[in-house]
Amino acid sequence: MRHLLRNLGLYAVAAWASLTLNFLIPRLMPGDPASIMFARFAGQLQPEAIDALRIAFGFTNEPLYLQYFTYVGHLFQGELGLSVAYFPAKVTDVIATGLGWTMLLAGAAVVISFVLGTGLGVVATWRRGGWLDSVMPPVLVFLGAFPYFWLAMVLLYVLGFVLGAFPLRHAYSDMLAPAFSGEFLLSVLHHLVLPASAIVIATLGGWMLSMRSTMVGILAEDYITMANAKGLSQKRIMFHYAARNALLPNITGFGMALGFVLSGSLLTEIVFSYPGQGYLLIQAVRNQDYPLMQGIFLTITLAVLAANLLVDILYVWLDPRTRAR
Amino acid sequence: MSRRLLMLCLSLMSLGGLAHCSKSPQESAQPAPAAPTTAAAPVKATAMTVIQEQQASWIRNFNPLIAPGTARWPTRAGVYEPLMVYNTLKGEFVPWLATKSEWSPDNKKLTLTLRSGVKWSDGQPFTAKDVAFTFELLKKHKALDFPAVWSFLEGVQAKDDTTVEFSLTRPYVPGLVYIVHQPIVPEHKWKDVQDPVTYTNETPVATGPFTEVKVFQNQIFELGRNPHYWQQGKPAVESLRFPAYPGNDQANLALLTGELDWAGSFVPDIERVFVAKDKENNHYWFPLVGNTTTLYVNTAKKPFDDVRVRKAISMAIDRDQIVKVAMYGYTRPSDATALSDAHDRWRSPEAVAAGDWTKFDQAKANALLDEAGLKRGENGMRTLPDKTPMKFDINVVTGWSDWVRAVQLIAQNLKQVGIDASLKTYDFSPYFERIQKGEYDISIGWTSDEPTPYHVYRDLMGTETLRPIGVVSARNWNRFGSKEADGLLHAFEATNDPAEQKKIAGQLQMFFVQNAPAIPLFPGPSWGEYSTRRFTNFPNKDNPYAKLTPNSPPENLFVLVEVKPK
Repeated sequence: MRHLLRNLGLYAVAAWASLTLNFLIPRLMPGDPASIMFARFAGQLQPEAIDALRIAFGFTNEPLYLQYFTYVGHLFQGELGLSVAYFPAKVTDVIATGLGWTMLLAGAAVVISFVLGTGLGVVATWRRGGWLDSVMPPVLVFLGAFPYFWLAMVLLYVLGFVLGAFPLRHAYSDMLAPAFSGEFLLSVLHHLVLPASAIVIATLGGWMLSMRSTMVGILAEDYITMANAKGLSQKRIMFHYAARNALLPNITGFGMALGFVLSGSLLTEIVFSYPGQGYLLIQAVRNQDYPLMQGIFLTITLAVLAANLLVDILYVWLDPRTRAR
Repeated sequence: MSRRLLMLCLSLMSLGGLAHCSKSPQESAQPAPAAPTTAAAPVKATAMTVIQEQQASWIRNFNPLIAPGTARWPTRAGVYEPLMVYNTLKGEFVPWLATKSEWSPDNKKLTLTLRSGVKWSDGQPFTAKDVAFTFELLKKHKALDFPAVWSFLEGVQAKDDTTVEFSLTRPYVPGLVYIVHQPIVPEHKWKDVQDPVTYTNETPVATGPFTEVKVFQNQIFELGRNPHYWQQGKPAVESLRFPAYPGNDQANLALLTGELDWAGSFVPDIERVFVAKDKENNHYWFPLVGNTTTLYVNTAKKPFDDVRVRKAISMAIDRDQIVKVAMYGYTRPSDATALSDAHDRWRSPEAVAAGDWTKFDQAKANALLDEAGLKRGENGMRTLPDKTPMKFDINVVTGWSDWVRAVQLIAQNLKQVGIDASLKTYDFSPYFERIQKGEYDISIGWTSDEPTPYHVYRDLMGTETLRPIGVVSARNWNRFGSKEADGLLHAFEATNDPAEQKKIAGQLQMFFVQNAPAIPLFPGPSWGEYSTRRFTNFPNKDNPYAKLTPNSPPENLFVLVEVKPK
């Protein structure tokens, strides 16, 4: 319990630091949104329009510390302000259009990749020197070296464009209205296959190798020899004695990986026109939409922190040593 | 912590996650027509699929008064409508909600006669009161006055149901375009709107051809016909579909797979990539009626304050090669007037003939630079009279590949005449800040996009748009202001006689050609692609009734009402 509380304190500090950076970084960039907007209509707007735009977006020349207090104050009320790129929609509304989809894609991809990779690692180590153990790691590492979006493009081109087996874009068919029907859910799954595969293929190797290396160490432990001597079933030794102990480093990695996968899935989303946070973020950066950028980074930060907290809780359950006094 | 409590926590968390995942798509769901039974059902032949905005998910916003580009296309011209529409290809104002415009003899009063019998999409009549109300809104909310009409307007009055009178503070004939291009909103709906600047107007009531929001989801929306549209029997298209594509690549992919009927994106090597896929149905038309891509030199700095240096730089540039290599041959070299084909009617042959400095001529460029006292040093590179080397960056936007290539070629050209120029790429926003503040030596850019050459030149050489270095200036990035040009510009503002306007425009061109305030490179193509698989009667070079591109409202109205299902 004390271990958890101490971690909670750490999380609070991490959250505050990320909030502050989140506030500072966009403001240190040159340029301002009104002029970008003006430029988008290369020459079609009047000079006076820039002033009008600045008024519309409510840009202030307040000192930075005052802006910071307003920002933190609003944050605690769940107010993220108005988006510039999607003016005059609220940032919370804009993020709400894509958050569920990003969570679905990144979540599904991480879970599949983790379970599959770890499972492969366990089996490969148990049958050391077998075909699985000799073929899979190099292949997966080779695939894992490619950036997500590149794999995404290859999948899109081969399976989507050339073979036509999967849809080229979007999270569900344009012909359907979102509803809780079998047809809609099938459509969502069908659209999820390619983008999720791109992430899974790229991340599988990492899980498998790290699992394999810890498993190899664990198998040399005395308690494994002991369990063998006791005549326990091979399956029980593999999962309860070896895998459960070898899983610990991978669980820690899971929390970290979620952060990477979230950012990687942003790129994948763009390739598949998946209506998640990825493209929103690009739009926000292009239009210097500070409120939206802050909102997106905030959701990503909080998601990663929450995942790590979850991992900590799991850890307490998996590793009795952390429960000590 | 007991294991049971922990399990409870975990299950709660996972539930929360699930609830969130399943809730958000539902929240964005709108009542939609019954979905067809198969997911891969073909699109209805009567729905035209268009792409104009590139977004990954749609935000529901049909407010025509806020910044162009923030509300969903075609809110400003398609859902709502302006009083008249300027047709660039015909060079005239086409009556729309107004049938006639008339200037008073002193050009300080503009009277518009409105079309009678026009109805809003809820069946209420459209009157002069709506027009007056719209302009009053702009007066009350500065942030809605993008065309800055209240910088020259004194008042707007509805004389009777079909007559509106605009009084101006000074004679300002070029202001007509800003008045008649303003989308008009219905008073009976908007008088109760709390804050029109942040109003998203989710269910529009308007006069345009497409006013009914049939479907609105985060990745697609569909607009249906206005039941009360004033043009009998139009539009022939039953509805417009807008799938969300996040970028040019995805949009171009959809264009190639034949999903799109109409688009306005830049496609490299279009003959091979797009037309060859389906010769019969895939077409494009890139008339050179955009603004002119221009090389800006900072005339507030030495040596660019010397007209000989500006002309020499221009002569050192091989425009033919740039057009061929960087622009896929989509355009042609500009002449010295800097006017694109949008202003062909205004072009003065005398000015074009006098402008020899847009022709590639290295010998002449070298002679002019020598004459300006910029001698070549030991290494063949030139120096200023005070011995500082002529070493400059040419600014361009990262990722604007056609312009990046153009600037690479220009830098090579300048090295050949002894000017050490090199390409410097910036992200858009620092690039734009530098050019606006005048904190640059050489930068590529664009000119104004308006019905007459008046604005092009006002923004390149009038003192009204001139700001000191370090102060953001929306126009006149070259920092060139001249009293003589001012006189011509004011004369143009005060006359309504076409012959007189043309004469002054000719003098403005002559002045520009003599002084070379900026260096025009090539006129910008207006991008437009269409497929005749499902729809016909798009404008093209054989039938140039309007611009093809959806990107320059309000001219897209012509296409929206003329296109027919096959």
